[in-house]
Amino acid sequence: MIVREHLNILLVDDNDIDIAVNTKLLKLADLTDHIFSFSSCRLFLKYITDNADGLRTKTNLILLDIMMPGMYGFECLNEFAKMPDDLTSSFHIFMLSSSIDRNDIKRAEQSKQVLKVLEKPLDVYHLKRLIEEISIQ
Amino acid sequence: MNKSPVRILYLDDEEQNLIAFHALFRRDYEVFTTTSATEAVQILNQCEIHIIFSDQKMPDLSGVEFFEMIVTDFPEPIRILLTGYADIEAVIDAINKGQVYRYLTKPWIENELRITIEDAYEVLQTRRQVNDKQQALEKAYSELEKFVYSASHDLRAPLVSIKGILKLSKLENDPAKHTEYFNMIEQSVQKLDSFVQNIIHYYQNGKKEEILTAINFSQLADDVFATLAHYDGAERINLRKEIEPQTPFMADELRLRIVLNNLVSNALKFQNPKDEDSFVLLSIHNTVEKAVIKVADNGIGISPDDLPHVFDMFYRTSQKNIGTGIGLYIVKEAVEKLGGKITVTSDLDNGTCFLLEIPNKS
Repeated sequence: MIVREHLNILLVDDNDIDIAVNTKLLKLADLTDHIFSFSSCRLFLKYITDNADGLRTKTNLILLDIMMPGMYGFECLNEFAKMPDDLTSSFHIFMLSSSIDRNDIKRAEQSKQVLKVLEKPLDVYHLKRLIEEISIQ
Repeated sequence: MNKSPVRILYLDDEEQNLIAFHALFRRDYEVFTTTSATEAVQILNQCEIHIIFSDQKMPDLSGVEFFEMIVTDFPEPIRILLTGYADIEAVIDAINKGQVYRYLTKPWIENELRITIEDAYEVLQTRRQVNDKQQALEKAYSELEKFVYSASHDLRAPLVSIKGILKLSKLENDPAKHTEYFNMIEQSVQKLDSFVQNIIHYYQNGKKEEILTAINFSQLADDVFATLAHYDGAERINLRKEIEPQTPFMADELRLRIVLNNLVSNALKFQNPKDEDSFVLLSIHNTVEKAVIKVADNGIGISPDDLPHVFDMFYRTSQKNIGTGIGLYIVKEAVEKLGGKITVTSDLDNGTCFLLEIPNKS
């Protein structure tokens, strides 16, 4: 069982409206108080590098947008995968997409790190069930 | 009769054949002859040959072997084999290995040779046309694929944002929050609207014929500024124009407008919100030959990593999330249709400058 206090949710999305909406939806669903958002992959990667020690002991959920300028979601994943295993193993990654492009979904599903592709707007109750599944495993 | 542009190379170990061939055709075609395969390759390297004749029976290497040797490096020229005796093996080899177009027996009949040359050249022309068409199709197809992919995302993303906001507003009890949500919806609608407008511009640029009109640069600049006046925050930006009309100028006005609208609206979009003295400068100087147009701003600039890609289709820079990645692509395409050139220089955090040269078509 994931203890509420031990759950971090990290949102990575260049669209500030979607960040604002998803943050509020997550708060309303009352999953955790620890919601962090990043407008670019660089900022996200910097954050987890800088806070690696604190993050290691928690369960970290990443909601990563597939389409972002500069560094696309998949490139971000590649960079993330280069980090030490004991850090990445504390992360569970969901990818978010507003397009329903089959190639994107296929590519994400084939990636070992990605648990699931979620369609935008975020269905937080669906996410809640997915988190419960993670905690059972 | 005018000399046709056909260039023929003839390889044969018998000098008399070469002399006879040259004498027959030198008035009609550009004829290169040689007894050496090495020299034949040199000629192929030096100039564009359309048709290659080769004798089959030569001491160092056969005609088929020669064709086989050059077919990878010079696939385009039409290959024709000449031989003194009917050798079925050579014919089979010629077709399979040397990929020859035709096989002629010696002694040749002038008329037959002439017809063969004309036919071969026509085949070459047709192949080239097919090739060009295929390349154009491939480019169009890959653009279309990119377009559909990005359009499906960029058209849908603002709608998805709105769906999310609506979902949230249903859960929200505080009516004061609703104004905030309306503002967010408005932003998304604007984003979608500008994307749709860009797509329309893209198609107008691709399809429409060039219509030349006399350009009044001062009027054009005023129009561009006026259409962009409704932009968020445009009122705090100092729009400056420096225009020196010197000579009458003719160009395609629609495309010129598309270019200037996009560049000036980018300059407005990518302003530094903290800067007190934001400006956009549109300067135009024209001569008999060309107009030199500068669109400069002191906005957020473009990072050196992004700069080489700004004209790529659907490339969005990482600094701000308001671009659709199609505006500058349209600009580049439109400038090409105008016969002009565009370059960009930028200093991150300090501003960007686009420099255009558009030829005067009067």
